[in-house]
Parts: sequence; C-alpha cells; structure tokens
Amino acid sequence: MRQKLPLAAAGLLGPATSVVVLMLAAPLALLFRDSLNRFDVTELMIETVTAANYTRFFTETFYWEVLRTTILVAATVAVLCVALGLPLAWRLARTTSRWKSLMMLLVILPLFIGSTVRTVGWMILFARNGMMDSVAGLFGTRVDLMYTTTAVIIGTLSVNLPFMVLTLQSVFEGIDDRLTEAAQGLGATPSRAFWRVVWPLALPGVMISAILSFILGMNAYATPVLLGGPRFQMMAPLVFWEFNTNSNWPFSAALAFILMATTLLLTSLSNFLVPRRYRA
Amino acid sequence: MPEVFSRRTLLAGAGLLAAPALIRSAHAEETFILGTWGGDYQRLQMENIEKPIASKLGIASVVDVADELPRVAKIMASRRLPRGQMDVACVQAVQAYSMAEAGVLEELTPDKVPNIAHVKAGLGMTCFAPHIWSPQILSYNPERVKSPPTSFAELADPKYKDKVGFPDVNYFYVMMAASLYASGTSTDFVKAKELLTKVNANGLHLYPSTDAGGPPFKSGEIDVGVMWLARIAMWQNAGIPVAAAFPKEGCILYVSGMVVPKNAPNKKAAFAYINAMLEPAAQIGFAEHMGYLPTVTTATLTGKVAKQLAMPDPEPKLMPPDFAVTSKALPDVTDWWKKTIQHV
Repeated sequence: MRQKLPLAAAGLLGPATSVVVLMLAAPLALLFRDSLNRFDVTELMIETVTAANYTRFFTETFYWEVLRTTILVAATVAVLCVALGLPLAWRLARTTSRWKSLMMLLVILPLFIGSTVRTVGWMILFARNGMMDSVAGLFGTRVDLMYTTTAVIIGTLSVNLPFMVLTLQSVFEGIDDRLTEAAQGLGATPSRAFWRVVWPLALPGVMISAILSFILGMNAYATPVLLGGPRFQMMAPLVFWEFNTNSNWPFSAALAFILMATTLLLTSLSNFLVPRRYRA
Repeated sequence: MPEVFSRRTLLAGAGLLAAPALIRSAHAEETFILGTWGGDYQRLQMENIEKPIASKLGIASVVDVADELPRVAKIMASRRLPRGQMDVACVQAVQAYSMAEAGVLEELTPDKVPNIAHVKAGLGMTCFAPHIWSPQILSYNPERVKSPPTSFAELADPKYKDKVGFPDVNYFYVMMAASLYASGTSTDFVKAKELLTKVNANGLHLYPSTDAGGPPFKSGEIDVGVMWLARIAMWQNAGIPVAAAFPKEGCILYVSGMVVPKNAPNKKAAFAYINAMLEPAAQIGFAEHMGYLPTVTTATLTGKVAKQLAMPDPEPKLMPPDFAVTSKALPDVTDWWKKTIQHV
C-alpha cells in the first residue's frame, strides 16, 4: 500500500495542476510570445522575435515615471492599510462581544459591492459640487478631490482595507492570548507585551497582508481610471490604453510582463524587511 | 452485462430528443452576430432597426457587445479563418478605412444593400455603410459665456484659463480640429500639437468618458470645450446649460457606421440588417433619441430635433477626416497625446 501512495498523490494533484497550467501558465506563455512581436498599424501584430517593446519601456522616462507612481501608490496604500487595519483587526480578534459577528460583517460589507460601483460612490463624494464639496462650501471653502492622487489612494485603500483586516484578524486569532498574559505576569506592560510578544509572532502575517494590499494596489485599474482621470498614470490603465486605444498588443503584453515582474520582485524583496528570526 | 439499450434504440431516442430543436430552428428567425457598443446605442439599434424593421425580414441579432478596438482586433485576428466571428461590426469611419486597407471587409454595393445608393456624398466608403454622423463644434455655457467662441484657437485664450475641457476619448478628433484651424487641413499634426500644447497650458480639463464631459458645464468647472453637435442636443435635453458654436474654420465630422467582414458567416442577413439601418425611419429614430444626423438623403428631420441639429446659414465647411492619413498617423498622435497632454 505504501508503494502506491506517490501514484495516489499524483492522481490527486494532477487535475488541479493541469488546470493551473492550462488556465495560468499557457495564457502567460502566449502573452510573453506576443510581447516579442512587432506592432503594425494595418496588420496590428507581426510575428517576429524582438526585444524592442521591452527596450522602449526601459529607455523612455515616461514609462519609468508611470511605474514609479504605481509603486508609490501601492506602497502608500499598503502602509496605510497596515496602520488602519492593525488596530481594527486586533480589536476584532480579541473582543468577546456578542456583536463580534456583526462587526465582522461590517468589515466585509464593502466587499459585497463591486469595486467599480464602490468607486462611483467615491466619485459622488469627491466631485465638484459633490457631497464633500457642498459640505465644505458651508464653511466657505472648497474640497475638489476628484482626479487627484489623494482620491486614488483613498479609493484603493477602501478596496484593500477589508482584505487587510480579515487577514490580520485571523493572524491575531492564531496567537494564543495566554502568551500576553504570561508576559504581563512576568512584569511587562500591555504595550510591551504586545510589541515584544505578539508583534514578532504576527509580523510574518502582517507582512503577507501588506503584500496582498501591495499586489492589489499595483494592479488597480478601475479606481485610478475613475478617480484619477486621464492625467493620472498607473501601469494597469496604461496596459489597457496600449491594448485598447492604441491596439498595440505586443507593447501592451510587454507592459503586462514588466508589471508582473516588478510586483514579483518587490514582493520577494519585501521578505527581507522581516528580520530572519521572525520569518515564517 | 445485459444490453439495456441497443445502438438503434439510442439513436432513435436521441433523434426524438433533438426533434423539437430541429423543427424550431427551421421556423425560427435567422440569426446573425452584431458586434456593437453597449448602452444607449445598442438599445436604440434594437428599438429603431431590429424590432420595427429587421425582425419583419426574419432576421435577429445575437449581440457581441465590446469597445470598438477590441472588435476591430477580433476581426483582424480572425481574418484568415474561413468562418469569421462577426456578421456586422459597428465601427467609426477611421477604423473602417484601416480595415478596408487590410482587405478584410466585404464591399457594400447597391445590389447587396439597396439603400446604400441613398447615402449622402462624402460619408460612405466602398466597404462602409455610414449610420450616424455629427459635426464637431465648440461647446460653451451660454449662461456664463456671453459671446460664443468662434474658433478653436480661442480655447488657448487666457480669458478661458482653467475653464476649458473635453472628454479625453475624443483626443484624435480634437487634434484634427486643431489642425483644421492651424492649417486648413485635418492632417497637419505638427501645427495641431503646437496649438494643443497651448490649450493644455491654459488649464485644460480632461474627462475619462464622453458622458463625464457634460456635468462640468453645469457645475461651473468649465465654460468652453469641443464636442459633437449630437452630444450637445443630448446634454441640452438632460438640462445641462450648454450650447453649440460652429467654428469659422469648419467642422471635422464624426462618422460611424457598419461593416461586414469578408469571412462573415451570414452575409445575407448582414446586408439585410445594414439595409434596414439605412431606412429613413431608423435614421430619424437615432436623430431624435441620440442627436446624430441621418446619413441618407431619404431621411428628413422635422420639429424640435430639426431645430436642435440645424446647420447655420451659410453652412460651415464640413470636413470628413482624411482617412488615408489619419489611419497611419493615429499611433504617433496617440503616443504624443499620452506623453504630452495627459502627462502632467
């Protein structure tokens, strides 16, 4: 029976692996092949093998600036998500209130709405003569947040925060509360117990949550388009612009690959932010 | 193992099960694939072309909703297949020209589409049936702008500092309008770039969609812009304080219509649908609900819509894009727009 086990394992893993290969690896391979093709106005895409699309990206300042903006927005949102999500997740994990389920529901409620619809809500708030502007008008000032970086960050934050809270909450739930009690029993103050006991244990989970938010931010599309407007440039809208407006599929494919590679690289590097002894 | 069903029994059973579908298809309407935009345009196609005219001919559309360029890309990508994925594709004239150049479109002649004989001069092409058209005009808020703008160059006038705006999606037509002012032709993009750079420096507002270009006139964010006459009529009907001014240098024409790919699976239905689209009743329906002008000489507008869409006297110079040039210049202009005008 023991000898048959690897075969059985292969049988169990086979279907899922095949689906992943078919649904993820194959399209990626096709996309990569397209990124090596050449664009033509009439033919749209001419089969060849050239690195011109990648060279174009790395030799033009414009594209570097778009990538920089994308990373800055994604990183800012990730940091804000940690700052805002951490206390909320901690409170949710430790509360014994009978309203805990309701509180959890409130956190995930925004996920019930599509991100585009949610963004339209922000547009109503941010628009000139919108809700915020009208309230500010009562105090003799104006709030014109529409088509600004701040609007994009707030919008993306609202999309990512529930993911962050849910992940962190489960991380904190997994840390035994008796460890804190033990630390306090040995003379640590509550804050010292948190930072010296809970925080190191939670750090890998916090990092994963931040990475999740970062990845979502790097690939944000609807929010930058609707709240940032045509002048706000991020990578995902740029991929779509090249694909849809310019019909330049090879360059669009190269942009998609660069975005993926950058996200993977930064995600891998972020692992070094966690001290080795605390890594999962 | 005992044989429960013989092969013959199974075949007979399958035949019986399939019979209703086979009988139904013999009597059902003939379907064709219609590649079109969604929203109001698709709804009005259904209300003005399909339900009242095309369905009586026994044809019904299966709608493939997408943006224009993915639709074009789909036709181009499948052009070598014997059987294409679309029978009728709705595209702008600029795209139709490029596709015709690539040799992927069926010619539309009066023997295939009788109503094509009534198409107004300058709007159609060999492989393109124009559906709607509208001149590009200068839009302004009549409550705040007492003397309407007279030329495109006024958008760079400091008196409109931070009060100029239009939808970003119309960038290529705006470039042609700038060229028309600067050179008298629609294709001098060097001069157009100079003028647009000045307009941009005057605090140009760009909006992410055509619909988003109307409310800023109401909120006071902008006072002047560039738009289609058709859209002005729609905005006026929606209560937005906006009016149209015809630039003295003339107007670039927006022309949109339909094409049939060479490998369309059901060309007969495609031709019948396009013929229905060119019927006067269908054309007038679009003018009344969407503000676009009829493309056939047989359709005459009356009443409120005729007044809203009337040309001034004398009629301004109306200039369709020079398709041979525009289709080649598009990638360069698009790239420049992205990196210069959009990029702050």
